[in-house]
Amino acid sequence: MSASALPARRIPWAALRRLPWLPLLVLGAVGIAAIGGEAISPHDPNGLDLSASFKPPAWQDGGSWDYPLGADNLGRDILSRIMAGCGVSVIVAFYAILFSGSIGALAGMVAGYFGGRVDAVLMRLIEIQQSVPSIALALILAAAMEPGLSTVVIVIVLTYWAWYARIIRGEIMALKGRDYIAFARTAGVSTPVIFRRHLLPNIFNTLVVLGTLQVGQVILFEASLSFLGLGIQQPDISWGLMLSDARQYITNAWWGITMPGIAIMLTCLSANVFGDWLRDRLDPQMRQL
Amino acid sequence: MLALQNVTKHYKTSRGTVRAVEGVSFEVRPKSTLALVGESGCGKTTIAKMILQLERPTAGAIAFEGADTATMNAAQLKNYRRQVMAVFQDPYASLNPRLRVGTIIAEPLLAHESPGRAAVEKRVAEVLDIVGLPATAARLYPHEFSGGQRQRIAIARALALRPRLMVLDEPVSALDVSIRAQVLNLLADIQLEFGLTYLIIAHDLALVEHFSNDVAVIYLGRVAEAGPTEQVFAQPRHPYTQALLAAVPQPDPDHVLNEAAAAGEIASALDPPTGCRFHPRCPLAIDICRTTTPEPRGTPHQAACHLVEA
Amino acid sequence: MVLEVHNLQTHLHLKRGILRAVDGISLSVGEGETLGLVGESGSGKTLTGLSLLRLLPKGSGRIAEGSIKLDGQELTTLSDSAMARDIRGRRIAMIMQDPMTSLNPVFSIGDQVSNPLRNHNIAHGATLRSKVIDVLTQVRIPSAEKRLGDYPHQFSGGQRQRIVAAMAIGCTPRLLVADEPTTALDVTIQVQIIALLRQIQADTGTGIILITHDLGVAASLCHRIAVMYAGRIVETGPVRRIYKSPAHPYTQALLAAIPRLGDKRARLQAIPGQPPSLIDPPTGCRFAPRCPARMDKCAEPPPTVTLADGHEAACWKLA
Repeated sequence: MSASALPARRIPWAALRRLPWLPLLVLGAVGIAAIGGEAISPHDPNGLDLSASFKPPAWQDGGSWDYPLGADNLGRDILSRIMAGCGVSVIVAFYAILFSGSIGALAGMVAGYFGGRVDAVLMRLIEIQQSVPSIALALILAAAMEPGLSTVVIVIVLTYWAWYARIIRGEIMALKGRDYIAFARTAGVSTPVIFRRHLLPNIFNTLVVLGTLQVGQVILFEASLSFLGLGIQQPDISWGLMLSDARQYITNAWWGITMPGIAIMLTCLSANVFGDWLRDRLDPQMRQL
Repeated sequence: MLALQNVTKHYKTSRGTVRAVEGVSFEVRPKSTLALVGESGCGKTTIAKMILQLERPTAGAIAFEGADTATMNAAQLKNYRRQVMAVFQDPYASLNPRLRVGTIIAEPLLAHESPGRAAVEKRVAEVLDIVGLPATAARLYPHEFSGGQRQRIAIARALALRPRLMVLDEPVSALDVSIRAQVLNLLADIQLEFGLTYLIIAHDLALVEHFSNDVAVIYLGRVAEAGPTEQVFAQPRHPYTQALLAAVPQPDPDHVLNEAAAAGEIASALDPPTGCRFHPRCPLAIDICRTTTPEPRGTPHQAACHLVEA
Repeated sequence: MVLEVHNLQTHLHLKRGILRAVDGISLSVGEGETLGLVGESGSGKTLTGLSLLRLLPKGSGRIAEGSIKLDGQELTTLSDSAMARDIRGRRIAMIMQDPMTSLNPVFSIGDQVSNPLRNHNIAHGATLRSKVIDVLTQVRIPSAEKRLGDYPHQFSGGQRQRIVAAMAIGCTPRLLVADEPTTALDVTIQVQIIALLRQIQADTGTGIILITHDLGVAASLCHRIAVMYAGRIVETGPVRRIYKSPAHPYTQALLAAIPRLGDKRARLQAIPGQPPSLIDPPTGCRFAPRCPARMDKCAEPPPTVTLADGHEAACWKLA
């Protein structure tokens, strides 16, 4: 029991070695591209160069290292456009996760802790939300508002908050029965303090894991919305929009649609692998998510 | 000090109404210990939850020093919570694993007062000393302590505000035999030192006889027998109390257990038996037991049984 | 002797080191005899029981040394398949603490009681059914024939433990290992299960090892008692000797620390301190740090002293 019996806090090198390096590398590259923006991209992502129209990737006949991943119908550099698209993906992911996570967590905590009528109302809301097709929701919102980045974020938040709320509610209901919370209530500790001291720290890991696991889904969702013309609009650049632009030339310029597709796939895969790793590290009991 | 009058608790569930507690009355005298005894599902934990204001009675009143807790305003209720503290059964579940012991013990203190940091530390060190732990324990986390030590921490936390009444819910049943005596002796010492009143919930009858002044034996949500512990244990009047006492194994190979004292098993509170709730298991049951609920007879040693003369 | 265990050492290989959970214990159980293995949590009593069935935690648990003989047959060297085929559930059966985890909620009790009978080729077809009814009647499940199709949740707690007992005794094992069989039950049900175990033994002559922390339950059921502390047996003897004239200071302290009905001592005699870590246990007597009769000699391993026929204790004070 003495303090000397405490294990010394060492840097867990062994745990670091088991970090998922490859996914972190991909996510790091996306982050750097998003922050660096045009300053580090080889070309102006919107710069037209009709002489380079449909230039194939560098390793193919007729390609050049000037356009490593090729160019699209208007001769815009695909690598630069993918890099520019990182910015949109990161911004959308950040805001969508921040808002859906906070709203969902708050709703889940309130519903789980207070139960009764509050819980019943919130649960019905969640059920209604989860039965509305998100594409339809996007269509309605796009009609009501300007399609664009904020519409995308709103649609994603409206779609995903219920996912957080449901899981957090379950966690809170399990926590609520703990004796230390019962004690706090009997000792007259106020409800906000109980939330801050006992509930929030206990769901923090869950929130981090859920947020990480959501990154891939958000990026995919944004791409789908933009592909359908409900999301990011020209001249802004997004991976989904690139797919949509390149679709009609798929037979004569495969790289136009493949390269952003690979970017989406790699980013989502990396986010999911990293999220899985984080979940296993922080909370092995959540494997069913 | 604490008086329960006809306290009833029903839970509505999809399968019907659970009659967990039905018309329970008893009084806890100041600076004494009252024990609630009974088997699992008898309602003793529900009674404790109502006293701790974690649940509201469906009917009846809980009065603390003459004031009905149901009509208390927010300030009065807060004062009540300050006077009444709880120690739970499982010291692994009752301490938040993410908080340091010092924070855990200071929790009730900070809920009611805003003392300075130094004052909090001083009080934490004081109560740690009372329960026999060094002041350095405040900096550690619960997982660094054994079960018995954790229960000491839980007791220190309950003691931090100098309450008047402590509700002890099976305070030693999760602990090892060799540790139980330490904790029970500690509880007895601090009761004497601080003039505390205890309400202890237990299923271990030998412990209850040893530890309490008064006892209430609960069966399926009703008080079967109650009174001064010595009288109840020396001359149990209710057939259920007799069965309980006959069934307790003794650390004595010559002691003979009476397995016939209570046949079968406790009924469900969803569909309790009519009349005396113990009658399906009672070896002495007569016709009236099946139809009429017995009223408690006798004072101060009362038993709710048709066969007991008033 | 039905069971003879000699110098059994069971280790748990944990990240923190090797935990010597059972550290050289010897015991025996005769035909129709009940041996109580009494101790606190962490004393090694449960792992001793699991060692007999070779049901140690996968990966970490290992029998490091010693011999376990059932009717003279060595079990430690037996193959896993032979253990499963001939011993487990057949010649040694187990009753665990919580009937709810011993029974599978999705199978009827008829299924579950007949499983061991079928697996060990005790009965088939029509005889199987009548045998199952026999066993359930033996453990006093009322109208057993009508209840074969019922599921565990349709029975009360006490009845579930009876069903677990029925599963254990179906194959008429030579040895029954009962690990805290009444701890999850209320006293009025506990007394019924104690009576049931006694009746089973009278009917079948099986040897029983009762693993418990409850000195009352052990006194009411056992013929002999072995008191375990920190992975070792500190005292063993006939039940009357253990309770009436305990020799080891730990046994004495344990008996003095529990409140008894009708005994109005003002204070319980607490045992100071707590059991040692079994990763790095003290050399010599393991109870010495808490012992009121501690001497300098206690730093060396204590000798096992025979006090009377079958009554032994490991303590320097008695040497």
